[in-house]
Amino acid sequence: MMPWLEAFHRPTTIAEALRLMKRGGRRARFVAGATDLLVEADPAARILVDVGRLGLAYIKPHRGGWRIGAATTMAMLEQSEGMRAFAGGILARAAAASGSIQIRNRATAGGNLANASPAADLAPPLLVLDAQVVIAGQKGKRRLPLADFFKGVCQTALKGDLLMEIILPPLNRAAGRRGGERSAWSFQKLGRVESDIAIVNAAAGVGVDAGGRCRWARIAVGAVAPTPLRIAAAESALQGRPLDSESIALACETVCREARPITDLRASVDYRRQMSGVLVRRALEECLAGIEPPRH
Amino acid sequence: MDSLEIRLKVNGEPRSWRVAPGDVLLDVLRRENYFGVKRGCETGECGACTVLLDGKAVNSCLVFAAQAHGCDIVTIEGLAQGDRLHPIQEAFLDAGAVQCGFCTPGMVLNTKAFLEQCPQPTEAEARQALAGNYCRCTGYKKPVEAVMAAAANFGLGISDCGLQSRKKSEIRNPKSEIKRGRR
Ligand SMILES: Cc1cc2nc3c(=O)[nH]c(=O)nc-3n(C[C@H](O)[C@H](O)[C@H](O)COP(=O)(O)OP(=O)(O)OC[C@H]3O[C@@H](n4cnc5c(N)ncnc54)[C@H](O)[C@@H]3O)c2cc1C
Ligand code: FES
Ligand code: FES
Repeated sequence: MMPWLEAFHRPTTIAEALRLMKRGGRRARFVAGATDLLVEADPAARILVDVGRLGLAYIKPHRGGWRIGAATTMAMLEQSEGMRAFAGGILARAAAASGSIQIRNRATAGGNLANASPAADLAPPLLVLDAQVVIAGQKGKRRLPLADFFKGVCQTALKGDLLMEIILPPLNRAAGRRGGERSAWSFQKLGRVESDIAIVNAAAGVGVDAGGRCRWARIAVGAVAPTPLRIAAAESALQGRPLDSESIALACETVCREARPITDLRASVDYRRQMSGVLVRRALEECLAGIEPPRH
Repeated sequence: MDSLEIRLKVNGEPRSWRVAPGDVLLDVLRRENYFGVKRGCETGECGACTVLLDGKAVNSCLVFAAQAHGCDIVTIEGLAQGDRLHPIQEAFLDAGAVQCGFCTPGMVLNTKAFLEQCPQPTEAEARQALAGNYCRCTGYKKPVEAVMAAAANFGLGISDCGLQSRKKSEIRNPKSEIKRGRR
């Protein structure tokens, strides 16, 4: 309950939604599933603009990749055939781990990113998928890589604008797939129970050539820095080497070194740092197991 | 403050209410005498406030009343038909899954939405489905048994209309008789 709210708007066009936000200024907030907003219950929020009637709940194929509307719920993502099949289903898996079904029926992809919690479960998979976000503002639309969207704890590049959609580029182009390459993906989460907010979460994707050598790797971790992060140093530690327990251990050490976690009620700095390495190891081991031996 | 009018259906009945912008569905439903919607944590953790919104289980403490405009809401009051309990309610009573009953409306409604989507669940799936409903009395063993029994006994739970639920007076299970007497 937020008894201090002065108005709740339910616009049906994006232009109207942006107008209402502009008029509301610093007192206005967008609201989607309200699963973060009502828990946070910020007394500075006086005017809400609902994004639920803007036609932004969709998952559509797009040039070999996907477009996901910002108002798409976790439940839609986890149930979507397309999302279960794409990149080992890591986005569907992350969505399925994001709270109870009552939460997942309301919580949206856009809210998860816009809220910019370092522990947001959709962030690591979207980061390894090289996702882009489309933002609608007073001056029109803009598109930027998700990695540039997160600016700090609860800070994003939105600045009052509307997150419209998330774009997943096709895997082969992004990964530069060539002949004989096999790839695999993984999402890992450590919580008190799985549906709880993550203590650490991680996603990985790797592509190996016919000889088992790692052509590319993508590794992202959450809840170990002010924003969810790609760990480029760990990715390059794998590149060009055979994907095996030795190279995986090397990548995990790098992740632990790069992690800048904090202590909070869920876990200490040391535990988070160690677990970031453990989760990335689990992710890479799952990838390794998922890459079938080459066919002759 | 601009109050808003919301029009919605609750348990099939059209309703029209004036609400404040900051009201959540939980408060409005209780204000309108749907006391089966329980107030627990008010932060989305416990599931006591679960209702069905357009057929989906949601925590009514985390839905603005204004967002329910135009929607179909089902509360626990909407499940029994006259003196015939819903088969899922029967299953909870028969399994001994009800002690103080505070968590029960949320569990039963969540089970209904779950079985409609997943009529033949494994026990692990049933347990997962109830992850957002806390019970401080029985634990979770009996509620999970109730979900499995409801799935097995009541014709997959796909549509209520096809299900033959027993009249209260026909129920022989002494355990549930006692519970019913206490209510
Ligand atoms: C009990 C519980 C368990 C949870 N478990 C998890 C979990 O396991 N993993 C996890 O990642 N999260 C979890 N969450 C957090 C939350 O459910 C998610 O972050 C969710 O995705 C937020 O989406 P929403 O639609 O509810 O956002 P809202 O609460 O509606 O909004 C969140 C923020 O984003 C802004 N916003 C929303 N949509 C837009 C838009 N389209 N454009 C611009 N700004 C926008 C709002 O202004 C607000 O600041 C949990 C929450 C609860 C209460
Ligand atoms: S009261 Fe709504 S989830 Fe606890
Ligand atoms: S029966 Fe008492 S809380 Fe579940």
